[in-house]
Amino acid sequence: MAVHEHAYKPYAGPLTPEWSRFLIIPRHAYRDVFSSKLFTGFFALCFVCPLVMAILIYLHHNLTAMAIFQINLQDLAPINGFFFQFFVGFQTALAFLLTVLMGPPLISRDLANNALPLYLCRPFSRAEYVIGKMSVLLILISAITWVPGELMFLFQSYLEGAGWAAKNIWIAGAIFVGSWTWILLLALLSVTISAWVKWRLAASAALFGLFIISNAIGFTVNGVLQTRWGGLFNLTIIMKTIEDSLFRDTNSSGLPSWMVLPTPAAWIMLALFLALCLFLLTRKVRAYEVVR
Amino acid sequence: MTDKPDDHMIVFEDVSKFYGEILGVNRVTLAIEPGITSLVGPNGSGKTTLMNLMTGLIRPTRGRVSVLGLRPDHPEVFFSKVGYCSQFDSFPSALTGFQFISSFLRVHGRPKKEAQELAWKALHRVDLLEAAHRKIAAYSKGMRQRVRFAQAIAHEPAVMILDEPLNGLDPMARAETIRLFRQLADEGLHLIISSHILHEVNDMSDTVILLNNGYVVAEGAIQGVRDEMEEHPMQILIRCDRPGLLAARVFEQDSVVEAKIHKDKHGLFVKTRDADAFYLLLNTIVVEDGLNVESIAPADDDLNAVYQYLIGGGDAG
Repeated sequence: MAVHEHAYKPYAGPLTPEWSRFLIIPRHAYRDVFSSKLFTGFFALCFVCPLVMAILIYLHHNLTAMAIFQINLQDLAPINGFFFQFFVGFQTALAFLLTVLMGPPLISRDLANNALPLYLCRPFSRAEYVIGKMSVLLILISAITWVPGELMFLFQSYLEGAGWAAKNIWIAGAIFVGSWTWILLLALLSVTISAWVKWRLAASAALFGLFIISNAIGFTVNGVLQTRWGGLFNLTIIMKTIEDSLFRDTNSSGLPSWMVLPTPAAWIMLALFLALCLFLLTRKVRAYEVVR
Repeated sequence: MTDKPDDHMIVFEDVSKFYGEILGVNRVTLAIEPGITSLVGPNGSGKTTLMNLMTGLIRPTRGRVSVLGLRPDHPEVFFSKVGYCSQFDSFPSALTGFQFISSFLRVHGRPKKEAQELAWKALHRVDLLEAAHRKIAAYSKGMRQRVRFAQAIAHEPAVMILDEPLNGLDPMARAETIRLFRQLADEGLHLIISSHILHEVNDMSDTVILLNNGYVVAEGAIQGVRDEMEEHPMQILIRCDRPGLLAARVFEQDSVVEAKIHKDKHGLFVKTRDADAFYLLLNTIVVEDGLNVESIAPADDDLNAVYQYLIGGGDAG
């Protein structure tokens, strides 16, 4: 037996706050994706719509410009709930494409490399790992949805005055909540698929397929049974119903009135769907997978 | 931390781990002291389960595991004391060796400056300074093994769990790594190593834990384990000038069960159930018959022999 000197001295210095450590994950993910010119180009394009809409807001308040262009923007594109709802709808569609590009390898790469034990043998829980992976999407999608949306709202409030802002403060809430419901859905769905489908192309296809198939199932059930409840299986309808309720629009997707879902039912289905994703994630994100 | 005996040991108290109906390990009771402890056993014997229990990656179905008096319920303290080197290539793509190590140090909560200093220190210890800023994807197998080891020691843990740490290393790097293990063990650290290479385990380990089918079949220093295997008589090789004469006399002792002359006619293999009594008899024979003895050495008290006796001829994985 060796004679041990017991020279080991544990570290006793300061530590960074526990809550901030998950940010190590997105930092490296961004370095990876932004090394691709294609992705960087696409991400830059995501800011075209906010820029155009900000210009529209500016033009609304610039009589000289309107006189030069000889258009009446007040009638053509009024700045109201619909204006901001269109913005959220357009940007979340881009967010979906961003998710398809970034989401699939997030967890699957770690699972394929057996890297989970390396993360989890540190003071880093499974929840922190999943939050870290999701934050890759949460931060990027936020940057193209509610952050520019709220900035546009502030810009409009600044130009229009405090009265307009007070009257329409609900729009700011709708932009925030509407964006976050999409962000949570896309991020959670993406990491769940990434955990279960290891092949990147298949994972991207599954992300697309889930919306297309749920759409088909929903409309088939509605058509065959002549009911509105098929919409409960249709992710797009669920999200549109929630969005409409937030922006005080009754039916922006133009569905027949008998097909429109009650808002509480849409919220409940969304919550159930997110819970299912979390359950599937807890089954898969483990230090060791036992193959029976 | 109170200064209890458990505070310096890795303790398993009647630990069992089942994966559903599959047995991982069963009724394991161990107290592992500082130094190099090797886990040896065939594939599926429970080595990885035992390592995962020590690293806090899995929890026991029954029993209690504590590492230096700590349990994984307090991850901040527990995981700062444990370093784990997995046997898999588990590197996030596009990272350099330096980024890989400093990133995981940040996960440990080390501030940026200190994380970088510790990363350089770890890379220096495994002799990877020159390749620090190269992407791991471009590393050779041996370099990957070393960077894996570097991330396990970087946060200066008191316990290191190393799964197949010598795989892929060339002989020079192996010798250097074993020297590093020895140095760390002499500093009072626990090194728990699983390895396929029995002669290296034999050379570097203070203690060996032999596992088979989820049970601990033996544990302790190799010689100690061998001495207690009474059903397998000890084999001793005596190199001498008259092995025939020696063979005729050794059977005076009942505990000697077999004697075989070496094929070069200059040695005798003796199998005895009582090695100490045999050495006394040998002294007598040397004095009485003027036997010229060149060397006396146990022929089967190494890990390989112990493994063969206890577990059989399967691979040691």
